[in-house]
Amino acid sequence: MSTVWKRWIPAAVAGVVVAGAAVAVPLSAGATSGLPEKSPQEVLALVAGSTVTAFSGTVEQTSDLGLPTLPSGTGSGSGSASTSGAASTSDASGSDGSAGTAAAASSALDLLTGTHTARVYVDGTTGSGNLRVQVLDRLAERDVIKQGDTLWLYDSGKQTAVHATPTATPDAVPTGPEQTATPQQLAEKFLEAAGSTTDVSVGGDVTVAGRSAYDLVLTPQSGSTLIGAVSIAVDSETGLPLRVEVTAAGASNPAFSSSFTSLDLSTPSADLFSFTPPAGTTVTEKAVEKPSAASGGATEPSHSESDAPKPVMTGSGWSSIVELPAGSESSALTSSPLLAQLTTPVSGGHLLSTTLLNVFVADDGRMFAGSVSAEALEAAAAQ
Amino acid sequence: MGSELAVLFRRRRTWVMLLALALIPVLVAVAVRISSAGSSGRGPAFIEQISQNGLFVALVALTICIPLFLPLTVGVVAGDTISGEANLGTLRYLLVSPVGRARLLLVKFVAAMAFCLAATVVIVLAGVLIGAALFPVGPVTLLSGDTIGSGEAALRALLIAGYVTVSLLGLTAIGLFISTLTDIPVGAMAATVVISIVSQVLDSLPQLSALHPWLFSHYWLDFADLLRQPIEWSSFGTNTLLQLAYLAVFGTLAYGRFASKDVLS
Amino acid sequence: MPEGGLAIQTRGLTKVFGRQTVVNGIDLSVPRGSVFGFLGPNGSGKTTSIRMLLGLASATSGEITVLGQQMPKRAGTVLPRVGALIEGPGFYPFLSGTANLRRLDSADRFARTSTRTARVGEALERVGLTHAAGKKVRAYSLGMKQRLGIANALLTPRDLIVLDEPTNGLDPQGTREVRNLVRSLTAEGTTVFVSSHLLAEIEQMCTHAAVMRAGNLVAQGSLDELRQAGQSRVRVLTPDPGPARRVLAELGLAVEVDADGRETHPLDGESVTAPLDAGNWVDGPIDAGTRTDRPLDPERIVAALVAAGVRVRGFAVERASLEDLFVALTGEGFDVAQ
Repeated sequence: MSTVWKRWIPAAVAGVVVAGAAVAVPLSAGATSGLPEKSPQEVLALVAGSTVTAFSGTVEQTSDLGLPTLPSGTGSGSGSASTSGAASTSDASGSDGSAGTAAAASSALDLLTGTHTARVYVDGTTGSGNLRVQVLDRLAERDVIKQGDTLWLYDSGKQTAVHATPTATPDAVPTGPEQTATPQQLAEKFLEAAGSTTDVSVGGDVTVAGRSAYDLVLTPQSGSTLIGAVSIAVDSETGLPLRVEVTAAGASNPAFSSSFTSLDLSTPSADLFSFTPPAGTTVTEKAVEKPSAASGGATEPSHSESDAPKPVMTGSGWSSIVELPAGSESSALTSSPLLAQLTTPVSGGHLLSTTLLNVFVADDGRMFAGSVSAEALEAAAAQ
Repeated sequence: MGSELAVLFRRRRTWVMLLALALIPVLVAVAVRISSAGSSGRGPAFIEQISQNGLFVALVALTICIPLFLPLTVGVVAGDTISGEANLGTLRYLLVSPVGRARLLLVKFVAAMAFCLAATVVIVLAGVLIGAALFPVGPVTLLSGDTIGSGEAALRALLIAGYVTVSLLGLTAIGLFISTLTDIPVGAMAATVVISIVSQVLDSLPQLSALHPWLFSHYWLDFADLLRQPIEWSSFGTNTLLQLAYLAVFGTLAYGRFASKDVLS
Repeated sequence: MPEGGLAIQTRGLTKVFGRQTVVNGIDLSVPRGSVFGFLGPNGSGKTTSIRMLLGLASATSGEITVLGQQMPKRAGTVLPRVGALIEGPGFYPFLSGTANLRRLDSADRFARTSTRTARVGEALERVGLTHAAGKKVRAYSLGMKQRLGIANALLTPRDLIVLDEPTNGLDPQGTREVRNLVRSLTAEGTTVFVSSHLLAEIEQMCTHAAVMRAGNLVAQGSLDELRQAGQSRVRVLTPDPGPARRVLAELGLAVEVDADGRETHPLDGESVTAPLDAGNWVDGPIDAGTRTDRPLDPERIVAALVAAGVRVRGFAVERASLEDLFVALTGEGFDVAQ
């Protein structure tokens, strides 16, 4: 009988090795290496003093905002199907009112749900800086290419490209991949917001993208915000923010996480930044006056600054509420069947509720957004 | 080994399956040709690009084949490996020839993988040929929007064929294992195909997302990462590791089962 | 390898499937150069034993030595010297006869590639399949497949050939050919191990035999030894049955009163029979040198009968047929041994 048992030994060994590797690899990725202690100020200084101007890397963004999974397949994994489906209805006209906005909203929502991977190439050593972000969808890709002042948006699923004129600033770009922001951008934003409203501390050492990093934890002092904590992993060597995690109040797992999974500090090849739209692509020359603040406001309120109907900020710090006056944008959103599925009707309007952010669209078309409770938004609307 | 391949490829069934796979790109191309680029419906991502560049027929055909047709044919071949011999009664003669059981398994697995490669290459080749015949062929646009010449496009097509073949390692190993469990080849084939479908269904359920990276079918469609500029190798690497893990587990399971099995058929 | 040793030897070979003991501790001894008949009704454990001999199935317990080497441990060196036909032929129906043989031959690492074509052709010729060599096996009749299976066993010179039910599906001519084939193999010095449920087959070609019943080995030895194990009897044909019985009884023989063989002949009277113990009387050629007088030599019985005035019209010593033995050992009828 013993020989019979021997035959199964390889299977047992293989099983153990595979299981072991499966467990050990993520563990070793999370293992910490003893870094010298640093105060929050020192870590912030490290960030501020970061001299990295060129790098490339892969960013993985995971959102669990409590949004329902969209039946139309807008969720992760099948994003290409929905965008190519939307392409036929919206993109011939490009900047056509509601349909275009709905498509943009769906595209943005797509990025706000599930997991997305993007490759980022940054070369700040030449001219006004080169940047390329590639959002890797299944069987498709969305690209942002900024070479000096020239900006291209390319969507392989829709086979469309947008060419922004030199006068346009990258910030004004309506929708798309830049919402998968690099940790650097997001960290700067949160550091700005910190001020006196936030407790800043340094957590335990972490390892991100194979690099040891300090974990800067920002905890809002205000109890009225939905955000529980923001943690920023700062590379111990370069001061580059490697990971940003946002945890909702009372939650233990991050609701939003954007993290480098690999990082290469060498200067990316220059030809990555030169882009010529391939044959057969619909190219739209984009003017600046068509930003879509609607859902961009979800993560980056500053997008709406150049918007035509000026937004109004109320409150301060973590509890600020942005109010958008009634306009075609918000009405388009409310009439969109997609958003109708996401929102819940409440008294006086519709509510789009996530773990980190609430958006309230009043019946009169005004829109309120903020990382505060729905009641606070409704109260703001009632004023 | 040569004899194993000879048996596999002298079988009419093998040719019918390869022919059926070759037919898919042809059907795709003809369908797109007839509808003359008017199709704006949903479908595999770059179906619309076919009319501009015939080389895309191969990619579309692969995308269509990967979820069902390739697993189907691979399931037939892999599920047949041991149980088919047992069913014909040839297994006992091979074993008393003698062929060591481990060697027989290895040879069978390699032959099944040869079929996977042949199947993938047939799809790609048929796609390229029919595409070149019906549509203009030119520089290929990558997903990143960059354009590459025909030479590099051919190289990438080969890489993709390699990727898909590697992707089928896991399924083949599973098929081999199942094949050692039974003497009824049809059962083993069906079970293998069903497992591949179950894996894909699980992969599409967002509630099970923690499980997804461990499913052997999870990276099947990520061959598209080879169509980016620069090539995204990480999925190739992850996929290969995953498939090798499946191969290790199910290959050794198959050995354990087969080496201790009484051949009674 | 000692000349004249055992080609196959098992000790306490046992196979248990679940709770059923299919082969129960058998001790086979197959002498080299013999034609060994492995006899037993269907389901008596013959094929399972053969599978264990060839390493296809693992023994639950017991030891197997084939051609002087341990099985299944040394299967790699033993099996190339063993040709086998196991429980009917198995072939790829979509390949021709030649291609099938080539395939199986190439699976044997010791078989020379250079001589393959010649050897395949020769094997096919030996079983009379040359005319059908190029046909797909799908189109073969059962008998042709059986022949092809035997051809496979003959691909290379073997020391031992195991044929499990070789004449299954063969017509009488085919059966005769198999017999001749086995004879020619023995002439080459090959040991042949033939299993069968047909006694006549074994009796015609074997030198040794073993009988299985319900997983047990109930008899084993050379055919002559086996025959001796059965009863011989004397039969006297006489019009004077009464005195004949008396004389036989005086000689110490137990006269069968109601024997089955008792019959009346209108002219010659009645036949009287009595079993003859092997111990009293030894079968075989009479060697003048060692001859000793034993009271129950047949000629003495006849002399005694004649001396007593019994009219002996016929006298015979009937040796037990193997069939009697087979029936005695394995039971009659169709019941598959349990």
